[in-house]
Formats: sequence, structure tokens, C-alpha cells
Amino acid sequence: MSMVDGPTPLHTAKADQAAEDREAVGTPPGSSAAVRRKGWFGGLGEKWQELPRQKQWAVLIIVVVLAYLLPVINPPLISTEPGNDFPLACQTMAVWALVAVGLNVVIGYAGLLDLGYIAFFAVGSYVAAMLTSPDSTFLKIPYLWTIPVAMAVTMFFGVLLGVPTLRLRGDYLAIVTLGFGEIVRILATIIPAMKGQVGFQNLGHPPGLDAHGVPIFANSNGTPWYWLTLTILIIVLLLAGNLERSRVGRNWIAIREDEDAAETMGVPTFKYKVWAFAIGAGIGGMSGALMSGQVGFVNNQKFDVVTSVLFVAAVVLGGAGNKVGAILGGALVAYIPLRFTAIADYKYLIFGLALCLIMIFRSHGLLAARQQLLAYGRHAYNEVKARTDAKSAKAKAAPGKEASL
Amino acid sequence: MTLLELKNISVHYGRIQAIKEMSFTVEEGEIVSLIGANGAGKTTTMKTISGLLNPSGGSISFMGQDITKMKAHIRVVQGISQAPEGRGIFPAMTVLENLDMGTFGRKDRSGVSEDLDRVFTLFPRLKEREKQFGGTMSGGEQQMLAIGRALMSRPKLLLLDEPSMGLAPQFIRQIFKIITEINSQGTTVLLVEQNANQALARAHRAFVLETGEITHSGTGKELLANPAIKEAYLGV
Repeated sequence: MSMVDGPTPLHTAKADQAAEDREAVGTPPGSSAAVRRKGWFGGLGEKWQELPRQKQWAVLIIVVVLAYLLPVINPPLISTEPGNDFPLACQTMAVWALVAVGLNVVIGYAGLLDLGYIAFFAVGSYVAAMLTSPDSTFLKIPYLWTIPVAMAVTMFFGVLLGVPTLRLRGDYLAIVTLGFGEIVRILATIIPAMKGQVGFQNLGHPPGLDAHGVPIFANSNGTPWYWLTLTILIIVLLLAGNLERSRVGRNWIAIREDEDAAETMGVPTFKYKVWAFAIGAGIGGMSGALMSGQVGFVNNQKFDVVTSVLFVAAVVLGGAGNKVGAILGGALVAYIPLRFTAIADYKYLIFGLALCLIMIFRSHGLLAARQQLLAYGRHAYNEVKARTDAKSAKAKAAPGKEASL
Repeated sequence: MTLLELKNISVHYGRIQAIKEMSFTVEEGEIVSLIGANGAGKTTTMKTISGLLNPSGGSISFMGQDITKMKAHIRVVQGISQAPEGRGIFPAMTVLENLDMGTFGRKDRSGVSEDLDRVFTLFPRLKEREKQFGGTMSGGEQQMLAIGRALMSRPKLLLLDEPSMGLAPQFIRQIFKIITEINSQGTTVLLVEQNANQALARAHRAFVLETGEITHSGTGKELLANPAIKEAYLGV
């Protein structure tokens, strides 16, 4: 086999040493991707993987606490004041991060380019508006209930859009989703019950009054809204992380990499694509409900194609396929125009340039997709293998009792 | 026993008819080769059998069951497994993960490690590289991986679409040797090839495809000896 010498194996001596260290402390191996794609942050994932479990948790807890305290601390250099209220900016960032995490399921995991994600955001917003605003004639429910309802309704819309369109691939899918984004916006304009530009005012908010009798979740009070969104974001992250490491996540990756091959491996690709679409849509709907709840007003003006493209930009900027990257990308895209108000008018120019630079120098995004999920799959696989080995050994020892297949 | 039977299969790409009323059978335990030039319809035939393409006419049956309308991913469970043209491995997955994807449709997880051993015995190189990413391997290794992955579903019928494509001559011989070995272990093989010499020499039976129709058929040896085929495909 002399002619099949491939490129030299990626495991450098250092990486191998690291792998041994990891095994020594009992964490699952899985930073080979970090070895593969070294960049500005390249060593980060690797270092993270090298930390023992307890330290990872400790770091995570510190990060989460800092994230919750962000609007309270209002750090001087990071703050968006005096131009924009910082807690409100935090809420916007959290919503964008949630959007990016949702879109990342669609684009990053399953590799489906959705240019009309704003439609799901819009559906979520309208669900929250029509079920809580006094301007609407629909049945009213408490605001917090609109979050799961918005999720369910948008998931339904995701399936509705997905079933006919997910037979298309690549560019064609992108075109259809682009159209869908516009359809929802235009429907909001022409359907009388959705009240076009007049919109819905005084949306509901979560209950609770402070000492002065003012609602805790007032429109201008960003901090509680931010905490609510952040909490939902963390829950979604945990769930998305589980999906990513499960069989579902691997099937999405397989579909992203080669749909035909996935199909010939026995993966029902269509079903998994619809699932990706529906899950992504549901998260988009939740973020829409959260955004419009805080703003307190919904009309047809906020759901344009440009925002949709910015959503995609957030995912690509952060690193498609990496949920931490998606959070970073979403938060950055929301943060930059709020922080640097002098250049806010040029934000499309700046994002355009940033994307060009990212594509040239770091084509996988700020945080490249880690293969860790696959490593977890391998971990699980080895476990299965060990178990079946044990089973077959047992079967050999007692041939009469061999389990039927 | 007849494992696979194609009856008057026609396939269209839009208005263009790529396969014209093709019929042939594959018996259990055979190696059957389909040879032909570019555009003869070899890959179209393969994709129709694996279910990636729908025929516009005719019927396909597998082990006596009509599978014409069956979805590709269900055919895998039934026992048809394909190593796609151009290898089609998952670049961002490691060798082991690629192989694991091959077990997707299996109900009996207990046979997996046995099959993994079998694949690693056939392709020791894959064992050496089990933690390497598929996309970083050489063409020959990717081909091994594609065949190995297809074997992981423990197929009754293995479809190989141009396993020799883009490989060095020495390695082509080796791949064909392994294909014979897989066959001798009990897997029926349907092979599509441009490398007519090897494909005919290894096959029990073979068909020559020209613009969507079978023009010659016979045992591999008969076709190897046929002067017309010699001239057209073997360059003698």
C-alpha cells in the first residue's frame, strides 16, 4: 500500500501528549479539531478540553454569573451609554444570540441555508402581540404563556414551509426561504387582523410590581428582560448541546456534508431536515416573542430581508456549527451598532467588510465548529462496542442462551 | 436465487432518457459488472437501484419484493448498500465515525463490532487511521473508507460505483482483490466500472452499457475475449 500515503497524520507529538493527559484525568478525548484548525482562538478549544470536568464547571459557572451581572456592573469600556441604555442593549444582544443559536441549528448543523429566518421571528412576535395586546381581538393569555405558544406555532410554520421546500437543495432552498421571509412580512401588511403599520401596542409582560408599583418588566427596564432571555438562552443551549451530541446531531452533520451519502447510509434525510427546520423555527419564534414583549409594540416594519441577512451574518461570523460561536456572532452583530453609535449608520458596510475578512482569514468563523460532538459520538460508540463485546463474550460462554437478534 | 431484478427500467433526467428499458438480474453470490463509457448510464443505473433516482418506467425487485417505490434509506435496511461515486465520505468525521454512520439502519447493534473487525481486516490502513478525519485522507484511503462504510450495514447486495476512479494502477488491483474477497465472504457485488479489464476479469457475469442500453452480456471471460469489446473498452 505504498501509494496510499496520505497527508501526514494530524496528531502531533504535542497533541498526543495532550490526549494522554486528558485520558489521565478521565475527560473524553475530542480536541482533534482544535488541533486541525489553529487560529486566533485555535488553542482555546483545545485548552478547554484539557481542563478536568470540575474546572470546566467552575469556569462555566463564573461565566454564567458574569453574564447575569453584566447589565448591573455596566463595565465602563463595554457600556453603550450614554447613547443607548446598556441593560436594553444587553437584552437586544441576548435576543440576537438566541436567534443565532436557533439559526445555527438550521445552517450550522444541517447545512440548510435559510435566508428567511426573519419570518419565524415575525411569527413569534405576532403570536405574542395578538395574544396579549389590547389592540387585538383574539383571546388573551398571560405573556409568559405566549413564549411556548409562539414556539409551537412557529414550529408548525417551520414544518409547513419545510415539507414542500426541503426537497430543494442549496441555492434553490435559499431562494424559496428568502421568498417566505417576504411573504410573512407582506401578509402582515395586507391581512386586516394583523393591522399592518398600525400594529399592536401595549403587549403583555411577565407579572410583578416593584416597591413603587411600577411593573418589574417595564418596557424601559432592560435588566429583568435580559435575565429572562438569558435564562431561556441557557436552557436552549443545554438542549441544543444534547441534540448536537446525540444521533440526531450526527445525522445532521452527515446531511450537511453529503446528503446523498447520508441517504445511502440509511438516514431518512428529509425527516431530519424538517426536524432541523422546525427546531430552528421554534427558537426563532421564542426570540421574536421575547423581543416584542420587551419593546411592547409590533408592526410590520421590523421584519425586512436585511435583518434576515444579518441573522445569517451573525451565524457565519461566529462560526457556523458552533453554538458558542453563534452566541458570540449574534451578540456582536447586535452590540456593535449600539456601542459605536457614530458608525451605526455604516453598520452594513462594516459587517460586509468583517464578513469578507472572516472568509479570507478564518473561513470557519470566529469559533470554528468543534468536532467535539463527534468525539462524544465516538465516546458513545466505544461504550456500545464495549457493551456488545461483553455481550458476545457472554454469549460465547453460554452458547445455548444466545440472545436472538 | 435471484437477488435483484430490473425489468424494463427507464430513467429520465427531465426530457432526456438516460436509461432505456433496461432489464437484468443479479443472482445471489455473484459479482456482476456493468461497464461502459462516460454517459452510458452506469451511475444512473446505480442510483436507481439504491433509490436516489426514481425510474420513469419499469420495476425493480429485491429478494422477490417490489422495491420500485421504496425510499433509499429503507432500501439500506433491506440490504442494499452503496459506496457512492466520488467516494462520498463525510470529511469532518473521523474514520471510525464514518464507519459508524454505516450502521445507521441496523437493528442488531450486537453484530457491529464483528463487522468493524471485518472491515479492519480487509483494510488494515483504516485501522491505523481510525481517528483521522475522512477529508484529510488520500483518494485510495477514502475509497477504502467508502467501501468499508457500505459494508458496515452488512448488506446482501453491495453496489460499488467506480471504485477505481482516480486511483493509481497498483492500488486498483488491490481494490479489486479486496472486492473479490468481500464476495467470497458471501456478499453479492454489483460493480460499475470504466476500468473494463479488471472489472471483467473479476466478474462472474458482465453487461456492456451504451447510451442507456445493454448491448452485450455474458460471463466476464466471454466479454474479455469478445473482439468488439476488446477494441472499444480494453484499448487492445
